[in-house]
Amino acid sequence: MKKTFLAKRNALLSFANISWGSLALALAVLALLMRLLVPNFFWRMTAPVFRIADSAAAQSHAFFASFTAATILTLQNEKLLNENAALANENQALLQKVAGQGALSKQSTKNIIAGVIARPPASPYDTLVLSGGDTSGISLGQEVFGAGGVPLGVVSAVLPDFSRVALFSTPGMVVQGWVGRSNIPLTIFGSGGGAMKASLARSAGVTVGDVVSVPGPGALPIGSVVRIDSDPSSPMVTLQIQPVLNLFSVTWVELRDTGAAFVRAFSWATSTLP
Amino acid sequence: MMRGMFTLATLASVIFFPWPFSAVLAFASASLEPLVPLAAGLLADTLYYTPYAGALPVFTFYGAVVSIVAVFVRSRMRAGTIS
Repeated sequence: MKKTFLAKRNALLSFANISWGSLALALAVLALLMRLLVPNFFWRMTAPVFRIADSAAAQSHAFFASFTAATILTLQNEKLLNENAALANENQALLQKVAGQGALSKQSTKNIIAGVIARPPASPYDTLVLSGGDTSGISLGQEVFGAGGVPLGVVSAVLPDFSRVALFSTPGMVVQGWVGRSNIPLTIFGSGGGAMKASLARSAGVTVGDVVSVPGPGALPIGSVVRIDSDPSSPMVTLQIQPVLNLFSVTWVELRDTGAAFVRAFSWATSTLP
Repeated sequence: MMRGMFTLATLASVIFFPWPFSAVLAFASASLEPLVPLAAGLLADTLYYTPYAGALPVFTFYGAVVSIVAVFVRSRMRAGTIS
């Protein structure tokens, strides 16, 4: 007769019964608890992983870019050179305008530079995680700028060594701004994926390519109108706005308090900002 | 082995890849491990959720919905005897 061996198992703690899904869920709950209870330690632990992800993304981008045809690159380069010349002229005019406004402003501003740990599209809510926090002088409600002083968003959470930025393109984000050369006021809504939108009267005469600005020191451009959706039965048109900077490749940002004008423009939209 | 690989790939993709890729992997994993979409959604919200984006952590919510649907579908498809 064949003898049957019955292994003595703990009915409560049998690894054979634990599924990969349960393990994954336990890991996610542990991560959530760590973020809630010891957020600074949590980001200290995860920051190196994000840095590895960043370098891997950069390497893979370089690898795939090497397959791009040289002709396309030449054409693109030529187009960019033309655009660059046009922008240089526009920048010159704007610098003169800003110099005039700067003379009026008596307020001194302290700039803080911070590296970006996580950004869209990995971050699905259009948020940035910065490697600087309370100890670096970052505080809630500071405005965040990218290269060239382009406004990107607002600091929404601060930890001792890390902080989180809600971009203007975050779904649910609302900020007051202006569009066009005549600075027509409008309300800008974040629509996710790095994009924004706004509604305006058809009679305002906004065209594709018009610059959209938000309050900073003066009016700072955050994007441009790339498409105008209009319904013949409606007196309003919807402007689809593309940011000036590519949010998916932002590696550092500059933070500063931009004063009451920006906070006022932003607090109209949300009451959560102090 | 396949289940483990899918689970780990889904969780890693939350950090390493754009969220649509993570969503596709979570859907694919749901057929093998129904709890993985919920875990991936929870991890995504742990890392990236901000109250400015709305009161509801949408990735946890959608992950939970997919997990519930996956559990239901698996329970319907499980082999059994017809009495």
